[in-house]
Amino acid sequence: MKAPGRTFIASAVVAARFLPIWLATGALAIVAAITAPDALQHASWAYVLPYMTILALAALGQMLVIMHAGIDLSTPGVISLGGNFIVGVSVGSDHKLALGLLACIGLGAAVGLANGILVGILRLNPLIVTLAVGQIVLAWSLHYSREVTNSSQVPEALTSWAAEKPLGISVIFWTGAAITVAVALLIRYTAAGRRFQAVGANPRAAWMAGLHVRTHVVFAYTAAGILYSFAAILLAGIRINIDPAFGAAYLLSPIAAVVIAGASLAGGLASATSTWMAALALTFLPQMLLILGLSTSMQYIVYGAAIIVGMMVSGDRVASLLGRVLRPIEGQTRNPDMNVNTS
Amino acid sequence: MHVRKEPAARRKGPVLVVLGVVVLAAALTLAASSSGGTKAATQAAATGPTIGKGGGFGEVYKARVATLKKTLFKATLLPKNPTARNIALAGLGRADKKVNYALALKCWKNNGCSTGTKGKLTVAYIEQFGENVYRQMSKMEFILQALTYPEVGKIIYRSAHSDLNQGIADFKAAIAQHVSLIVSYPDFGDAMLPVMKEATDAGIPVATYAWGYVTGPGKNYLTVVGEDTCALGKVYAYVMNTQVKSGNIAFLGGFPGNPLSLGWQTCERPALNPNIHVVATEPTNWDPSKVQQVVAGILAKYPDIKGWSYEYGLGMAQGAFAAYQAAGLPFNAVLTLRTDDVGMGCAFDKLNNPKLQMYYYTSGNTQIRVAFTAAMMKLKGAKIPPTIVFPIQLQNQRVRDSCAKGYPQEASATSLIPLSLLHQMYP
Repeated sequence: MKAPGRTFIASAVVAARFLPIWLATGALAIVAAITAPDALQHASWAYVLPYMTILALAALGQMLVIMHAGIDLSTPGVISLGGNFIVGVSVGSDHKLALGLLACIGLGAAVGLANGILVGILRLNPLIVTLAVGQIVLAWSLHYSREVTNSSQVPEALTSWAAEKPLGISVIFWTGAAITVAVALLIRYTAAGRRFQAVGANPRAAWMAGLHVRTHVVFAYTAAGILYSFAAILLAGIRINIDPAFGAAYLLSPIAAVVIAGASLAGGLASATSTWMAALALTFLPQMLLILGLSTSMQYIVYGAAIIVGMMVSGDRVASLLGRVLRPIEGQTRNPDMNVNTS
Repeated sequence: MHVRKEPAARRKGPVLVVLGVVVLAAALTLAASSSGGTKAATQAAATGPTIGKGGGFGEVYKARVATLKKTLFKATLLPKNPTARNIALAGLGRADKKVNYALALKCWKNNGCSTGTKGKLTVAYIEQFGENVYRQMSKMEFILQALTYPEVGKIIYRSAHSDLNQGIADFKAAIAQHVSLIVSYPDFGDAMLPVMKEATDAGIPVATYAWGYVTGPGKNYLTVVGEDTCALGKVYAYVMNTQVKSGNIAFLGGFPGNPLSLGWQTCERPALNPNIHVVATEPTNWDPSKVQQVVAGILAKYPDIKGWSYEYGLGMAQGAFAAYQAAGLPFNAVLTLRTDDVGMGCAFDKLNNPKLQMYYYTSGNTQIRVAFTAAMMKLKGAKIPPTIVFPIQLQNQRVRDSCAKGYPQEASATSLIPLSLLHQMYP
């Protein structure tokens, strides 16, 4: 009798961590339907869905790192240089596009591996070291775009593919959704995914259980780098041109998406689907505020306030609050049993 | 005989000497006039008709009509103030001087260089945002102009990557380096005033271009060069009044609060007829993806919007065209834009939509040359007017196609960067 009750409470506490972003996004949609119904029209979604997908992919990478109490500030560098690699290696030609895409993914993996070694093996502070690595990659991107690429046009095969709309929705969205589902399934339903979560939740316990903690940390950063490179490929497809500021917007917003989605910066559990939902909310909200006709300054104020509120109602705070509320209930349900037993 | 001969010789000697001198002088004059004539003829053939006369402070107040037409659309679209006009002629006239293009390219790629002239002057172009093609072309115009002055020994370029603190630090570093002059575009407006004033107080002339207006030109800094942005707004309004007539339009701008966007927006709005409603005024940071976001948002609410006013033509072409395409709406609108980017014109041509009207002004990259020359003249003691204002004339894309053949898509065909050099910058 006790085990199901405790399981329910544990599940509720875990779910509570991720539930608020779903409720908040639902509330946002209701508010939009009432105050800015145009934000729910096709023209708005035509922008929101592809761009939220790119943010979601960057946030998924960030999520893997944050699950291990890390942080990765090299995202804009990888996206920027990755985009330039697509253009530079393919020389704007469709025939060499595959090479360009491989170079982009290879770059993401290499930068992620470097971050992983610096943080996981050499134990350097992730905040500082990934920022430094990101700066180096960004500088390389600027140099590469001037010295090597000398062109900004993305190969037409990629842009044509990105313009496709199966079932009336951007192919970018479908691709991102597929990657998100794959990541969610891998983490939740595979042994490797379970081990990955265990190391993030409690590295010491995982180490005592015989898991290779450092290897998992290195893997987390490497996988994150690969996800950033996927984001770079999709962004290149819809942007058509690569400019020096390509990817600059993805420094902090992926972190905000992960935290609002319920993950703790101290590491532990995270949800890929909630992160995806947070990316949707963070892309949709400014669009709704724009359509509402708010002044630019008010848009920034409301957006910032929404992130603060999002942090307040998600993650550890809600989990611990729910835990405190439910424990007395658990106690009350346990006492009658005890009374029965003693009587 | 001797006696006779002697006096005869004495008489003939000076005559011969005089004759010799005259012949020599004549020969030299002939040779000089001949070579000068040839040179003049060559120059006339190379330069064609010119506008302006006179000079001073190391400058010639003269420029080729063809050069002026290329960058201003019409050679007569020069500042009305006589001193400002002379500075403009001197600055733009220098574009025809040949410089070391290989060095210019190296300098452009390396964000600065030593010119090799051993000149004593160090010149700096400092901006808070330099990450788009427009700014990169302005940087090249600055370098090319600097290379026309042998007294310039070193060129410095700094971009703060949209970071105000870094922008202030860049200015302070230039002051500490005792640079001879600074040309800038103040992306953060009056936030840059303290450091611009500090440079001015340190005796460094600071000139801005593209109407990079900061409070107190002539007092807090040397001068601001550009078109009268208020007049630009009025001309935009005239186009909207005559082409749109009634309905909704929207304003897009660059960074929030930047002087260029504020300048035309403030004057376009009241000049619109009462049947035209400005339904949105949004910043875009001159970023095409932000343009796409903003246009998509406005389109969602006002799918029948009839006009867009903005500065950055290429940003509009890349962002707005994509937003309309994604929304599945025909791009039936009137556009008033400030820049004449080639890619913008080509995108317009490719759409081939008779219901899309596009009017544009010159990108004004060459205004940086005038700002540079104004600062150089100041160093030589000239009195510089606080504003150097170019008149406005919008071009209709259907009449003057900005999709110039042979030009890179990112470039502006009103730039005075030689085409061969542009191809090396953007192959």
